[in-house]
Amino acid sequence: MSFAATPMLVRLPVWRARVVLVLLLLGFVAVGGRSGYLQGVRTAFLKEEGEARYARLIEAPATRGRILDRNGEPLAISTPVKSVWAMPEELEADRRQRAALARALAMPLEALDRKLAEGAGRDFVYLKRQVPPEIAQRVAALKIPGVFEHREYRRYYPVGAVTAQVVGFTGVDDVGQEGMELAYQSRLAGTAGSRRVIKDRHGGVVEDIGAVQPAQDGADLVLSIDSKIQTLAYHALLDGVRKHRARAGAAIVLDVASGEILALVNVPSYNPNNRAKLAGAQLRNRALTDVFEPGSTLKPLTIALALETGKATPRTMIDTEGGQLTIANYTIRDAHPARAMSVTKVLQVSSNIGAAKIALSLPSEAMWDLYRRVGLGHPPELGFPGEAAGRLRHYSTWRPIEQATMAYGHGISVSLVQLARAYTMFARDGELAPITLLRNPGYASGQKILSTQTARAVRAMLESAVQPGGTGPLARIAGWRVAGKTGTAHKLENGSYAPDKYLSSFVGFAPVSAPRLITAVVIDEPSTGGYYGGVVAAPVFAKVMRGALRMLGVPLDAPAEPLELPSESEHAREST
Amino acid sequence: MAAVLRAKSKPPVAEYDRSLVWGALLLAALGLVMVYSASIATAEASRYTGQNPAYFLLRHALFLAASLLAGAVVFLVPMRGWQKAAPWLFLCGLVLLVLVLVPGLGREVNGARRWLDLRVVSLQPSELIKLAVVLYAADYTVRKHAVLKNFKKGLLPMLAVMLLVSWLLLREPDFGALVVIAVTAFGVLFLGGMNGLHFAALLLMLGVGAAGLVLSSPYRMQRILGFMDPWADPYGGGYQLTHALIAFGRGEWFGVGLGASVEKLFYLPEAHTDFLLAVIAEELGLVGVAVVIGLFLWLVLRAFAIGRQAALRERHFSALVAQGIGIWIGFQALINMGVNMGLLPTKGLTLPLMSFGGSGLLVNFAALAILLRIDWESRQLARGMTA
Repeated sequence: MSFAATPMLVRLPVWRARVVLVLLLLGFVAVGGRSGYLQGVRTAFLKEEGEARYARLIEAPATRGRILDRNGEPLAISTPVKSVWAMPEELEADRRQRAALARALAMPLEALDRKLAEGAGRDFVYLKRQVPPEIAQRVAALKIPGVFEHREYRRYYPVGAVTAQVVGFTGVDDVGQEGMELAYQSRLAGTAGSRRVIKDRHGGVVEDIGAVQPAQDGADLVLSIDSKIQTLAYHALLDGVRKHRARAGAAIVLDVASGEILALVNVPSYNPNNRAKLAGAQLRNRALTDVFEPGSTLKPLTIALALETGKATPRTMIDTEGGQLTIANYTIRDAHPARAMSVTKVLQVSSNIGAAKIALSLPSEAMWDLYRRVGLGHPPELGFPGEAAGRLRHYSTWRPIEQATMAYGHGISVSLVQLARAYTMFARDGELAPITLLRNPGYASGQKILSTQTARAVRAMLESAVQPGGTGPLARIAGWRVAGKTGTAHKLENGSYAPDKYLSSFVGFAPVSAPRLITAVVIDEPSTGGYYGGVVAAPVFAKVMRGALRMLGVPLDAPAEPLELPSESEHAREST
Repeated sequence: MAAVLRAKSKPPVAEYDRSLVWGALLLAALGLVMVYSASIATAEASRYTGQNPAYFLLRHALFLAASLLAGAVVFLVPMRGWQKAAPWLFLCGLVLLVLVLVPGLGREVNGARRWLDLRVVSLQPSELIKLAVVLYAADYTVRKHAVLKNFKKGLLPMLAVMLLVSWLLLREPDFGALVVIAVTAFGVLFLGGMNGLHFAALLLMLGVGAAGLVLSSPYRMQRILGFMDPWADPYGGGYQLTHALIAFGRGEWFGVGLGASVEKLFYLPEAHTDFLLAVIAEELGLVGVAVVIGLFLWLVLRAFAIGRQAALRERHFSALVAQGIGIWIGFQALINMGVNMGLLPTKGLTLPLMSFGGSGLLVNFAALAILLRIDWESRQLARGMTA
């Protein structure tokens, strides 16, 4: 068997084969050496370079804390949603696929194409944020390369418009923008954790490296708000505003003992879950951020000071000048003209002249000091964004006419919250309550402003003001004794009083025998069915108070028989 | 019983070189696993593969099976037949190299026209020509042995043919194949006794030519510069190499574990073809790389030993073919590994027997089958003489 077929003279030089083999061996040695160098010596540098390219610190988002009412009812919760985004460079989709994607996202194809065109050259563009999980699933099912999703949280407000201005809302980035969401942003947001991960070049997380810093979820925020009372107050206020075709309204319910705000409602409101058509007017928490000239609701303060300083007693007769009093070219008028009346009657029929004359008998500094101490002229410091301070000029700048008008709430401005808080001293035997928007049950002690005796005397007068013959009988409720004061003020427009625009208010508390709740109502520009506080605001007050007392199971202190309501609102008339 | 008896009798003489077969099969098996591991992420993410993560695995396995089958057929062909067919095979190779340049026939990928689209599969003529060149060069050397030292009659015809092949390859372009082919062809001539002075002059010429090619093309220049200091421009010219080097560094001694490479996750381009070794280095560490280097070294040693055996029996064509195959496989493996490790500038060269690519696998296994045939024929002769 022979396969050899070469001429005999051929000779292959063996040394040449050896040279070639040695050269190849040297090559293998070089490659082996290099490999050893790279994998045994240079590793630290190379691994570092590798980490620089694909190790990333990614945020582990913290879940935002809930906002709850005092009974644990959720007012704001975070629900998981998905955001759909794309890497335009990586996106591979024909027209049919893009149409399917657009359909799944419920957007026109043109809008989708526009977004992709805008994102061209960037490696990240949101297609749609915060879509429900089922839509995200449909998008994922299309399996279009270059389209991604990530988890986000969307804030949901179960009570909606009722608590809108108190709770506020968060923006698309889950950051508080209004209300308590803004005020307690850091506490609610918690602290995002972090993970050091290796990512593939498309951004997918491959694995965790190093320690994981867990996210600290935001803490729940428990408000003092009672959502049942809040809902009741909202609807009562909404009815009142609608009935009188008013521009707006606000109401607040305070717990007398704890100073907690049980309800804080505003009209007009908005649905925080759908903020597509949102105007500034709906956003405002008027009770806290708007100030107004309180009108007659301020009279009890002046009278309390007169009683406290011994300048008058409830029975002291005041010369009310037959309904007309001129001080330095300015005439003060009464709606119920009388030659003279007792201090109690001044409050009951809301006599401006009576209040002015009492004020003029008091040192301006003492008046200013009282206003100041009950919280007027400076923000209530509830921690709420945009709390108004109101205007309280220093007494040294007061002219006598100003001191006189201030006695019945003109030339001074307050927010509804400030006003309601001032009334706590009448309900708490002279002690002013600290107020809060956070749950804090139990008795909250505050500064003693008036003697118990004075407070009780004013309380009795305030009760008479809602009796037939007073300006606020519509504030009465069956079963509980009520005390309170009406207020009707011309609106200030461009520095002067508008003749036909009013703010109607009512502040009061119940039950008089052991006050539990203070409720204050203000209605802005009622345009039909009267404008007196006793007609416009008092019925809202009554509705809220009755419902709230019932909900809280407050013992009755009056016969629970139907009230005999005045047939017409003659008595509600008050001087403004 | 038979095995026991045989073990007791004299040193057993196998019918074929078992260690060569096992070495090659080991490389191929490791290659199959690593091609799968390196390609799984890209295959899954690409629309071109239908998002099938096993896309490359299935094809590679199919190529491997076909290549093994082809190798079995090749083994049946006597060396005498190969010698006769050598010029014709070479001619066929040339024709294919021309065809691939025809616009309608050659498929262009990333600016290189290297594939002949045959509907079902695509053929890479620059791979096929490698085997033809080895056979042709060996046949040429033996045929022209008498005048091999003569420049005009011995060297010039081969030089002319090689220049033609080079020109065709540069038109694709496929610089890597050109280097392997030139080194293999002239390596065979050198082994066959070509004039040493001519060889030295040729080396010089090759060096000058290569330098000229590099300097004349900004694309090659960029590759060279990127290789000299990849960290100077790690996101541009040095991108691929820095990522290959990082893969080596991450692998350390024992690797990050099979399947755990990060570089293959879209960072390292061509992970399952030209840069397969980098993935091996990352996943299996220095140990894995050493195994690969050792197996290739073993193949080269075996090829030269088989060549030596053939030469001793005066089967010069077979001897030159065996050693030529050794040069080819060894040199290509070295270049690929050198490129992966940043010792050499980046070229489009695969790791023989391992990288993804049907044509490459086919000719590699055909070459190994020829090597086995040469060895087998030598053993048959030895038996004939001893028995």
